[in-house]
Amino acid sequence: MRETTPVKSPRLNEQDQVMTTKYPYYVEPYNETERPRRFLEAFSAILQHSNYGFVLDTYSKITTKCARCACNCQVFMESGELRDVPCHRTELLLRVYRRYFTLGGMVSSRLFNGFTLTDRYIDEMAENFYRCTACRRCKFGCPMGVDHGLMTHLARWILAEIGIVPKALVVAVREQLQGKTGNTSAIPVVALKDTCEFLEEELLENYNIPAKFPMDVEGAEMVFFPAVSDYLLEPDTLMGNAAVMHLTNGSWTIGTGYYDGINYGLFYSDTHLCNIVRKEAAEVKRLKAKKVLIGECGHASRSAKAFIPTFCGGKKAPPVINIMEYSHKALLDGRLKVKSGAILDRVTYHDPCNIARSKWIINQPRELLEAICKDYVDMVPGGQMNICCGGGGGTVSIDEIRKFRTGTGGHVKAEQIKATGAKYVVAPCANCKKQLREVCEDNGLHDVEIVGLHDLLLKALDLEYYGITAPEKKEEEE
Amino acid sequence: MEQWLEWARGPLFKFAFAVMVLGLFRHLLLAVAGTVQALLRAGDTKIPYKVVFRTTLDWLFPVKKMNVNRPVYSVISVIFHVGLILTPIFLLPHIQLWERGLSIRWPAIPHVLADMLTLITIAATVALLIGRLGHIYARGISRIQDILLPPLLMVPFITGFLAMHPAWNPVDYNAVMLIHVLSANLIFILIPFTKLGHIILLPATQLVSEVGWHFPAESGDDVAVALKKENMPI
Repeated sequence: MRETTPVKSPRLNEQDQVMTTKYPYYVEPYNETERPRRFLEAFSAILQHSNYGFVLDTYSKITTKCARCACNCQVFMESGELRDVPCHRTELLLRVYRRYFTLGGMVSSRLFNGFTLTDRYIDEMAENFYRCTACRRCKFGCPMGVDHGLMTHLARWILAEIGIVPKALVVAVREQLQGKTGNTSAIPVVALKDTCEFLEEELLENYNIPAKFPMDVEGAEMVFFPAVSDYLLEPDTLMGNAAVMHLTNGSWTIGTGYYDGINYGLFYSDTHLCNIVRKEAAEVKRLKAKKVLIGECGHASRSAKAFIPTFCGGKKAPPVINIMEYSHKALLDGRLKVKSGAILDRVTYHDPCNIARSKWIINQPRELLEAICKDYVDMVPGGQMNICCGGGGGTVSIDEIRKFRTGTGGHVKAEQIKATGAKYVVAPCANCKKQLREVCEDNGLHDVEIVGLHDLLLKALDLEYYGITAPEKKEEEE
Repeated sequence: MEQWLEWARGPLFKFAFAVMVLGLFRHLLLAVAGTVQALLRAGDTKIPYKVVFRTTLDWLFPVKKMNVNRPVYSVISVIFHVGLILTPIFLLPHIQLWERGLSIRWPAIPHVLADMLTLITIAATVALLIGRLGHIYARGISRIQDILLPPLLMVPFITGFLAMHPAWNPVDYNAVMLIHVLSANLIFILIPFTKLGHIILLPATQLVSEVGWHFPAESGDDVAVALKKENMPI
């Protein structure tokens, strides 16, 4: 086994000392006997029943180790450690695959007393695969087309099957799939209704908009799944969502059977990924709706868009749209009227990796923002090649690694935000929002405000066009 | 010596070339079969073929990609590949050998150009090795083959150049030719067993990476059953 000798970067200080304990994140107690054997059993089962085999086979033949991927990784840019080179991390898994699942590897290991999977090696994987934010930016730097994000995805699944998975992620998924409330934030239906009623009152009071959060409306066109944490943390985003829906006569509903868009299965287990998207599809079916409408959340959008067709019937699966797509279309159709230049402060946009890498949602939010902002600036680089906030791949939920996330993982982003000089950073993603707030706090960007896209849209709605007179209190504020 | 040389470019060459062709064919077959099997099992078979195709072309002819990361290394790498591919294929003496054996021929490049390409390729290889060994992270992730293959690839280039320029050749012509042919044969044999396999796999990798994200609809359940976890609490 090759030693990973951390190469110290002069920019690093004591914060990486935190990372020297067994795992940087909490893991629930698990069976620690014979981990290598059980790791290989899980690996073998996954290879047999999924589609990773031929990918590993191809990758293990072609990796050239040129280190071009390293220049694309925001964790590596900051840490400067060998173990953060994406290709090095992928090799951790490929070495196990070659040794135990290819003929050549088995023969050569017998001839040359080669590599053996050990407990220490598993620990190394456990640590390194959670230093990756699975943002998939490195794929664009690889001449060989190796998707290191896919390898992280697979490695985390295998590790999870032997019990190594951050507690923060498991707890959330457990509540979502087997808990009483059925969502990651453990919000009961009563509380959900209460929150929505409160938001309706707020909307009426502050904006005079009689918008509703429709509950369990059978036959609505779209069923709404925001990141459920939005109900606790992002009232403005949700009010913006409801206001836009109300003014554009959108046919939508929230299903009280299931109302969570979050899917941590994407971060560590295809089994959970599958079960969670099935719950979404089932709720759409129960309400006889046609589409899945995902709120402002990157991984929720991608997991639904990419994996509802995979796990819920291919072409027959309900189509998935993101609320920004809806608002953008409404703006183009002329159903959504906004006051141009209503937002006076400088605004910039952070692309959540999960919706930008595939070029799915890049221009829509920008066009919306350009319509309402006086001073909109783009981050460089942005769009498909954006830099991850540093909390991707579920790492944002792991509070105990905050120093790593905001220091090593998020520092490049902080510099990027600073360079724009923006007051508002629009981050239409629950994970990015939490992470960026902490990044700004820990990197001294105290004047920057992290908001959702619909937070700003709400402020910029052309209410007069809809025959609504804004309440006086609001005008005084402005 | 001459008998050795005849053996090396006769039977041995045929063997080495056959190993390469069969090995690469196996690579391709496995990649294609794997992709087809994955697509048959996938729950969702919608693949953005156009995007995949465009990305593949972008990396096969990486004109746009050269300035992205490690620009100097990337440019040198492209020059290296151009020399490595063009020179042996379009060198007149090589074509004459094919004509003698199989009666097929194609246009050759002028000797001067071949000489220049050879020297450029040798220089590029040295630069690539410096780029690898001098770059702390590239060196850190390099395996033995990553370091040994470039010098090996240069042996036929250097010996070929010496054979074409007897005045500069310090040793016997036949000896140089023997090394030339033997090293080339060794490379042919190694191609399917090392990262040189990208010769055939590179056009497939973008598709492989894309299809890799298309999981079988029942994969999650099947794995849970296989690991006897289907009814276990999370």
